[in-house]
Amino acid sequence: MTGSFTSPLAAALGPFLLVAALALPLAFVAAWFFAGQRRRARDLQWLAPVPALGAALLALAGGPFSFEAPALRLSLSLDRPGALLLAVAALLWIVVGAATFTYWKKWPGQRFAVCWLLTLTGSIGAFVAADLLSFYLFYALVSIPAYGLIVDDDAPETKRAGGVYMAFTILGEALLLLALALLAAGEPHGSLRIEDVVAELPTSPWRDGALALIIASFGMKIGLAPLNGWMPLAYRAAPISAAAVLSGAGVKAGVIGLIRFLPLGFALPVWGAALAVLGFFAAFYGVAIGVTQQNPKTVLAYSSISQMGVLAAALGMALAAGDASAPALVAFAAANHVLVKGALFLTVGAFAAMDWRREKWALPLAAALGLSLAGLPFTGGALAKLALKAPMGYGIAAILSYASATATALLMLHFVTRLAKTAHWGETARIPHAIPRYWPFFALGAIFLPWLLFPAVGHLSEALSLDTLWDGFWPVLIGAALALGLARWGEKLPPIPAGDTVVVAERAFKSSFALSGFFEKADARLRFFPAGGLSLVTIALILAALAAKAR
Amino acid sequence: MIETAAALEPTFGGPLLVLAILLPVVGVLLSFVLGGRFAERVALALAPVGLVLALAIAFLVWRSGAPVVYNIAGLAPPLGIALRADGLSGVMLVTAALIVAAAGFYARATFATPEGSTEARAPFAFWILLQGIWAALILLFIGADLFNLYVGLELLTFAAVPLVCLSGKPETLVAALRYLMFALFGSVFYLLGAALLYGAYGTLDIVLLSGRVAPLPAVWLAAGLMTAGLLAKTALFPLHLWLPPAHANAPAAASAVLSGLVVKGSFVVVVRLWFYVLPALPGDAAQVFLGALGSAAILFGSVLALRQPRLKLLIAYSTLAQIGYLFLIFPLASGQHPWTIDGWNGGLMQTLSHAFAKAAMFLSAGLIAESLGHDRIAEFTGAGRAMPVTFLALGLGGLSLMGLPPSGGFAAKWLLLRASVAAGHWVFALVLLAGGLLAAGYVFRILSPALADGSLVLKSPPQRSREHAALALAVVAVALGFAPQEFFDFLQIGRMAVAAQP
Repeated sequence: MTGSFTSPLAAALGPFLLVAALALPLAFVAAWFFAGQRRRARDLQWLAPVPALGAALLALAGGPFSFEAPALRLSLSLDRPGALLLAVAALLWIVVGAATFTYWKKWPGQRFAVCWLLTLTGSIGAFVAADLLSFYLFYALVSIPAYGLIVDDDAPETKRAGGVYMAFTILGEALLLLALALLAAGEPHGSLRIEDVVAELPTSPWRDGALALIIASFGMKIGLAPLNGWMPLAYRAAPISAAAVLSGAGVKAGVIGLIRFLPLGFALPVWGAALAVLGFFAAFYGVAIGVTQQNPKTVLAYSSISQMGVLAAALGMALAAGDASAPALVAFAAANHVLVKGALFLTVGAFAAMDWRREKWALPLAAALGLSLAGLPFTGGALAKLALKAPMGYGIAAILSYASATATALLMLHFVTRLAKTAHWGETARIPHAIPRYWPFFALGAIFLPWLLFPAVGHLSEALSLDTLWDGFWPVLIGAALALGLARWGEKLPPIPAGDTVVVAERAFKSSFALSGFFEKADARLRFFPAGGLSLVTIALILAALAAKAR
Repeated sequence: MIETAAALEPTFGGPLLVLAILLPVVGVLLSFVLGGRFAERVALALAPVGLVLALAIAFLVWRSGAPVVYNIAGLAPPLGIALRADGLSGVMLVTAALIVAAAGFYARATFATPEGSTEARAPFAFWILLQGIWAALILLFIGADLFNLYVGLELLTFAAVPLVCLSGKPETLVAALRYLMFALFGSVFYLLGAALLYGAYGTLDIVLLSGRVAPLPAVWLAAGLMTAGLLAKTALFPLHLWLPPAHANAPAAASAVLSGLVVKGSFVVVVRLWFYVLPALPGDAAQVFLGALGSAAILFGSVLALRQPRLKLLIAYSTLAQIGYLFLIFPLASGQHPWTIDGWNGGLMQTLSHAFAKAAMFLSAGLIAESLGHDRIAEFTGAGRAMPVTFLALGLGGLSLMGLPPSGGFAAKWLLLRASVAAGHWVFALVLLAGGLLAAGYVFRILSPALADGSLVLKSPPQRSREHAALALAVVAVALGFAPQEFFDFLQIGRMAVAAQP
């Protein structure tokens, strides 16, 4: 895609918009630090992603463009996969931002607002970064300040969620840094451009280590099971607005990471198969745990785990086959998830704040939105399934992807059931009025907007063929049948705590504290003078011996 | 030998080096002569002058692309004594000037001579000792002779130790005595080693020695003794017994200087020893051993920092860990390999970014302790809202310690990581990452309660100007992350000239 034609307008205007896309949110951050500007910042900050949206639309219409600032060692570029994701992510940030920051009673506070802007900057930057260090910077920015969005109250569960989120995030960052160092080491000319280092990856001596680290670090970000533990805790604890943007836009930093850093034009059957297996495992694992959950937000988190698993599986299949067309297709499917998952979290907020029993259309609309993820015909999800068809191929992966659509339908209907049963669960304090008021538009937009984007990756006529419609319909039908069964016998399922395996990880983590006691004792010993003196003499002798030995 | 001859020639601007040393020495003398409250004024007035001098020297080094050299009294070594400033000296001089200035500015409130009295013990001592430390550091950064460096080390120790016990409380006296005792051990070892080298080669000039040193028993022993002595003064694990109590008990401004600068003084001498005096010694194993001690320090110091209940102790143990990173420079920058450029730059970047970040954190910790009346981390709930600028400085310093972008700490970690990958030193790469994780853990421990909501009554709000001093240092630590390629080229000046000797 990178070699395709760029219109003169895009070439001229694009770089400017790229810079503005990052500069404007940062300018708002700066404004928060001046008392005189705070009011204006808070009223207008929902507009911060507008240049990013402009850049994305320009790139979709006019072809790829880039911006280089060698002095700052910053290089940005926007190709089709990046633009697809950036367009919907920016839109989600604008819409949820407008609903959140024009509300402003006691909530949200300044800390939330600044963390919002920083996360937003990182979210935009991750889609447009073209070199390793810029990517790492924005990736850290979309991950770490999100702590302030998740931890917005003092409940112990919230603090726990924040701690677990931080642990996963920091570990993921460390793994990614090592991956990037390996990538850079494999590039003989010293270039740090993502394109260049990934092109050298298949022949690099550090290939396997780098791929393992790439999959592990981005896998943690997208909640690839068994690295999924943070996600249900975090989305359950976060305010609705934060959960919407993080699950919709934030997580896609991991998806774009996989798209950019996997050498997709080059067939690596073993690595591809491994990623596909992991992805499909997550796809079904997410549903299996999700149906045991009662809190709608947790159910949505497990749905995210499952959906990201499907995307990872598609990328794995593409990697195994050496399919270079996969990035745009997977990006489209991910873009659909940005809109739908964002809207689904807003649905939770809307249902909590309005009397949905009076609005006859509310429940069907929520169901349609949810089933979009399962590929219900005429929804954006149907297009996403269609886009993933080519990377999935015709073998067992295709069968599994139908099965996962069925499972998703089941999970989404479970979600709607839980939504109906738990509405008014008392979180209205942090739900801006605009969310229940405009929710139908958000939902309809999420269902139908992907139709506008689909021409960028495929033909609409194909999407409307009878075959495709039937393909989309029967998994939903089976899923609905299963959902009836779940509603009937679901109470017999074992209760599984939100975050599932994370409970074990937390226990292991806590027991490692005992180890640090040993360090403390050692320190107490070492800080006696005789021990210090002995160490001093020993070190002198060892150094002298080593200096003598080496020749 | 031609290169040796060139490296001994005095260059344009050499007298600036003498001036740089003389400035704080004159300051100390003036403070004695004028006495009382003038000590503070002299110290604060000389700080900007010293900064300008440091910048001028760095500029000369940068413009000529080679070390600036001065022979004292016009006599070339081995008869005379030389001063030499290269890229390493340049950045360290500027760093020292900035941190001394910031610490001095910050300390005005604590160490003002009370109205009505002409002289008070603690303030008078503080301002003189601060200038003494500064003079010693300058000597260490530009000294080109191992005995000259010894003088610098002694001056540094004798100026630093009393700073620890300025308050006169019993526990500070104990800490200071431990520091003094162990630093003296270190001095003895260093002096013994230097004497061995002098006996073998009849000179202690670094350039001359580098051309003459051969793998002989005397040299091996000298290398071992001098290095061990310097490690004791740098508090590299397991020789850290004096550091946590000393750094945690000193007044905040003194802690900032001790942690940010003083330990770097002896570290620079270790660098001079292994990269400038002994490169002819094929000491790969010894260099890896130094790296291994550094790795142990990183893990050990970080784990202990995680367990500290008090902020200042936590920061002190974090210094222990961060010193460990410095020693990765030895395995990663020794020899003639292509990755040594990254290893060297990464090690020096870590030296600089830690100096600024840690100084900022200690200054912030001082403000927190004054405003809250304690520094127990568990009771910080709501403190972030009560004193946002202080915690911003603390947080930015922490960002650099964790090695997250954008910060000098990140630049350092990235370079060191690349060098260890290229050199095949996997253990160091893993230690670098583990150290980052543990650092994130202890920074999170400080910030998590501080950022939580809570009502907190400050004993007194922090003084705005002092908060800004801490913040300014933290911002420098972050800004180092944006250092351009020219900056790294500057760090290389003077490195190869000596290392390339046969």
